[in-house]
Amino acid sequence: MMARVAHPDTREDVRREDAPAGIPTWQTVVWNDPVNLMSYVVHVFREYFGFSREQATRLMLAVHHEGHAVAAGGPREQMERRAQAMHDYGLWATVRKAPR
Amino acid sequence: MVMLTITRIEARHLADLMGQFVDLLQATEDAADDDAVARLVPDAYPDDPHAGREFRHATEHELLDRRRDDANRVLSDLEASGASAAEGADDAVVDVALSPDDARAWMRSLAALRLVIASRLGVADEDDHDPDDPRFGVYDWLGYRLDGLVHAVSAD
Repeated sequence: MMARVAHPDTREDVRREDAPAGIPTWQTVVWNDPVNLMSYVVHVFREYFGFSREQATRLMLAVHHEGHAVAAGGPREQMERRAQAMHDYGLWATVRKAPR
Repeated sequence: MVMLTITRIEARHLADLMGQFVDLLQATEDAADDDAVARLVPDAYPDDPHAGREFRHATEHELLDRRRDDANRVLSDLEASGASAAEGADDAVVDVALSPDDARAWMRSLAALRLVIASRLGVADEDDHDPDDPRFGVYDWLGYRLDGLVHAVSAD
């Protein structure tokens, strides 16, 4: 009677709680669109994220060629602020849970 | 300080477009009612409608207010420089002096206006371009001006 079988949901909860602190759990993803100019997107990444021209160009090209790229990782609220900032520039950004 | 050199006909055309943009923002009560306005407040959570609604609720008004304020700033910069005045030959050249904040508002506005026009034109990929449609001429011209400003502010 004392022996209990762990419920799968419980195990899942434990696994989530065990995730080390400090690992970015959410991401701001910037998506490719046919309208925004490459030069403008590089400008946005430099101005908002403070990236060097090289970093910003790499990220822009990743968005352009892969269709999307992760621009930032961290707490959810912060990632939402990043996404809103991208929207303010006219870029298309979404927020998602970081894939494990 | 960025000096933008623009012809009077360009300045008048730009003022007209920015005015129409402000009117569109004013006339649209719900961004979801108009694809072009909706593009200015994209869905941040395509896979989570509930989170998407909450995000939209928290950000839509602020974003659209910013678009209106930016566009009005472009209009007042054009007016202050006299560039968009009714008098003067179309091909006369006018200098418009832009502070760094002005230039940022101009770039955001030009980018937003291009998104709106692209939405109206049904631009779905980079090859969607009809050289015979004059609206693409406007779209390209706005892109040319935006690209020029980007290079002017990031010259290093």
